[in-house]
Amino acid sequence: MATDGSKSVVSSKQRQFDALVRGLSGDLYRYAYWLCGEDALAHDLVQEAFLRAWRSLDSLRDTGSAKAWLITILRREHARLYERKTPQFADVDEIEVADERETHTPESVGEDGLIRAAMQRLDAKYREPLLMQVLGGFSCEEIARELNITPAAVMTQVFRARQKLKGMLAGDVKEAQLHELS
Amino acid sequence: MSKKRSYMNCLEFRRELNIHPHSSAAEFVAHARECPRCAQAQADALAFESTLGRALAIPPPPNLAESILLAQATQQRRERQRWASGAGWLTLAAAAVLAVGVGWRVTRAQPLGDAAIAHMLGAEAPALAMTAPVAAGDVRKAFAKRGVDLTQVPADISYVQCCPVGKFKSVHMVMPRANGPVTVMYLVDDKGSTRADFAHAGWIGRSVPMAHGTLVMIGHDASQFAQIEQEWQSTLQASTRI
Repeated sequence: MATDGSKSVVSSKQRQFDALVRGLSGDLYRYAYWLCGEDALAHDLVQEAFLRAWRSLDSLRDTGSAKAWLITILRREHARLYERKTPQFADVDEIEVADERETHTPESVGEDGLIRAAMQRLDAKYREPLLMQVLGGFSCEEIARELNITPAAVMTQVFRARQKLKGMLAGDVKEAQLHELS
Repeated sequence: MSKKRSYMNCLEFRRELNIHPHSSAAEFVAHARECPRCAQAQADALAFESTLGRALAIPPPPNLAESILLAQATQQRRERQRWASGAGWLTLAAAAVLAVGVGWRVTRAQPLGDAAIAHMLGAEAPALAMTAPVAAGDVRKAFAKRGVDLTQVPADISYVQCCPVGKFKSVHMVMPRANGPVTVMYLVDDKGSTRADFAHAGWIGRSVPMAHGTLVMIGHDASQFAQIEQEWQSTLQASTRI
């Protein structure tokens, strides 16, 4: 009987892990991609983060906080393995958008490309809180806890992130218009 | 500047708009209702947020979840194997002591073909169903981990992982073919002297000494092996040991 109970615990842990992977690996990959700027590295980071998550899955008590928990693991993994690595951001032309091209108009792909390029140029201290807000759906308080800064600092950073992003995009659009005229 | 009828003025509204564009705070909503210029700014900001969200939604690689689950299953299996290997050594030591006493001899290890098929049908069996090609860079990376630098990579590899197969270090791959998937394992630094065909548990296989080790192919249709062997022969001949 003890064996049956043990098997049941193991399979419920595996089911929980499967659900986390299937439900959140895409979100985590997007976060990792914008964190490191490389698709293969993002894939490795997500995989390592999930393998670490598996080993400490018993510490996850609240399923509602699973995404934040995984992002914490991912950020630690990124810091641990790649903090000394200079990010090699891809050119906008090299960013893989094949899946999206099927559903978006050429105009929107161009606009998305400009935004992606601007995000790559955005300083990490502005990019990360903005990513957590836009991609992760986290509140300023949650971001503050994760980044270990004050909520007021988070508000300042997301405010400036948007300002800088819009400023860069306005410059890019003007430059694109000049190229069209010349 | 619009007339201030709500608790929030235009400056406060614009600041909040850049921090929480989707805010539903009462004073924020009230200000937008009363100030047309700020309402227009909010409409522009929400349009920007929508575009931003779409631009950031990079599509994840195909089979991302499956590859993570396979890596986890493989890791678990390795841990079990390490544990079993530790227990196995104790058993072997006890058997050796016994053998000295009664004159028995320890039997030989499991043959390569049986070990390869058993590995293929283990935790990584779901890999046989994978059809989406993996990136050539991932294949190169797996071989590099085994000390082999590939200058070219055959097409149509749907799964790649560095695995221990019994006592052998291997790169385990799956190559989907018209008559079913072929599992290909390259055992580095374990070069047999002759090619051999084998069969086990309804599967057929072939091992071929090649370059720095042995190539093992397993499937249900042996006629598919020749082309795969040729592809890997030219690939591995062009490779170098690192």
